[in-house]
Amino acid sequence: MTPHTRRTLEFVLDNLVWFMLLFVLAIFSLFIPNYFQLGIFANIIEASSVLGVMSIGLALVIITGHMDLSVESVAALSAMTVGILFCSAGIGYGFQLHPEWLMVPVSLLIAIAVGSLIGLFNGVLVVKARMNAFIITLASYIWVRGLVVAVSGGRSAQDLAPAIRWFGIQRVLGLPLTAWIAIGCFVLFSWFMARTPFGRHLVMIGGNETATYRAGIRVTRNLIIAFALAGATAGLAGWLLTIRTSGATANLGVGLLFNAFAAVVIGGVSLKGGVGSLPGVYAGVLLLSSINTAINLMGLPANFTQVIHGLLVLAAVLLDTLKQTIRQRLA
Amino acid sequence: MSEPLLVLDNITKNYGAIHALKGVSFSIGRGEVVALLGDNGAGKSTLVKIIAGGLEPSSGRMLFEGKEFLARTPAEAKAAGIETVYQDLSLCTNVDVVANFFMGREITRKVLGIPVLDETAMEQVVGNALANAGTRIPSLRTKVEHLSGGQRQAIELNRFVHWGGKLVLLDEPFAALGVEQTRRGLDMIRQVARQGIGVIIITHIMQQAFQVADRIVVIRQGVVAGDVPTNRTSPDAVIGMITGETLAGAGPAAEGQKRGPVQEERTI
Repeated sequence: MTPHTRRTLEFVLDNLVWFMLLFVLAIFSLFIPNYFQLGIFANIIEASSVLGVMSIGLALVIITGHMDLSVESVAALSAMTVGILFCSAGIGYGFQLHPEWLMVPVSLLIAIAVGSLIGLFNGVLVVKARMNAFIITLASYIWVRGLVVAVSGGRSAQDLAPAIRWFGIQRVLGLPLTAWIAIGCFVLFSWFMARTPFGRHLVMIGGNETATYRAGIRVTRNLIIAFALAGATAGLAGWLLTIRTSGATANLGVGLLFNAFAAVVIGGVSLKGGVGSLPGVYAGVLLLSSINTAINLMGLPANFTQVIHGLLVLAAVLLDTLKQTIRQRLA
Repeated sequence: MSEPLLVLDNITKNYGAIHALKGVSFSIGRGEVVALLGDNGAGKSTLVKIIAGGLEPSSGRMLFEGKEFLARTPAEAKAAGIETVYQDLSLCTNVDVVANFFMGREITRKVLGIPVLDETAMEQVVGNALANAGTRIPSLRTKVEHLSGGQRQAIELNRFVHWGGKLVLLDEPFAALGVEQTRRGLDMIRQVARQGIGVIIITHIMQQAFQVADRIVVIRQGVVAGDVPTNRTSPDAVIGMITGETLAGAGPAAEGQKRGPVQEERTI
């Protein structure tokens, strides 16, 4: 095999999800009436922003060989915090800041801070107390959601301050600002993972934690940061969620966790750790979103989406095994 | 002999009631190659982990370059100049050759104050290092999981030769290597020692110890059972020390004990 064909093949394997996405979009555009429109594509991107941002953090932690089940609840808690502070109806206090635009960065920082704190808590317990990440974050998944319900008393906050909602309405180049935030996050985090020592170390920790420890990499610190980042991105996802729904309910975002998992796995991240890249995860998110849109357009009952998502995860895992075999032949 | 590089003084390690090391004392000088021999379970790997960081001795002290030394983590040992090649290889098989070579010591340049990996510079260094050592790996961008056992071990060995430091610990470094690669590995060890680096090599293969080492230290049941210059002993005598058939006092071993650098250190 010439080096050229090898490189082409590896490129295709590395970006397989993107090719799958293009393939699916092409099929849908051909066979589903009205699918092929710029508006539809913009809609797909817009609909995937919350899930996308949440998947980034989840993927980071999974790449290090750990697990974060709490992202969904953390997003809900951040959303509820922002909702209670800046909504004027329901259980919202309706705090006002002057000038009004100041509410945007302040609410954003609050959402991210709430998420980071819980992420930090998870990380310290997992790494310092050496407890299993699955159990710790499962506990957080439950108690954080419980906190959301307790704080809200099961009621909801409505009428988010217009200055913040402006963010959800405003469009740049046909896409809402919230979608640009998701894209920006993917670009930023992908760059961090691929180009900085920190990202490289996270991937290596996922591959062989003992080896990285022996090599003098600060494994404990890096892992705690990864958990905190997962919390922070979940907080950001919660902020986007509040903007999108213009408020917060106690059951906001229920079910997002499993979609995020699906996106991460479809995106080529191995649950064993050490394998996967963030651009792939974004393609996974877009793939889920385009399938949802297709189901909507075909007028199928929405319940089918869950069946298709489940099958898609299975297909992704099978595909991953196939990819491994091909790579072994390549080497 | 000038001041020894590393002195172990009565190092012990207990795991509960089990005494893995019962008081090990020996020393190694700059540019010296010491082969550490001993049967399975004699405590060799425990000793390596104590020197390399990550395992603290129960009692005893170490002097590194004349100063009191204790590495709590491998990072501390590395910072002091101690490189280790472990028995179970310390490679991340999910990343490429270059990333493994530079693990934890990546070449970076600042972009807006953020350290960014300088891949071209790193690839060049690795390419040169491997070429100098005569190791052939098709592509430096291949993930290590796709390489053979021998290629992996070669990466580890080249890594320690490149980074050098002051003292190198090799725990069974040639387990996965073929005849030719082993010969080249032994050459590498001599070459490293010529640069003034101390080398401690653990091996099961008597022939290798006699080929490469200046001195042979035998550990048996957690104590030093023999400490002899290679050219004053024979494989049979060493086997005797390992199995405990001969008394440690018999033959060259006793002389080694008496002339042991640790004792010299004490009289200073």
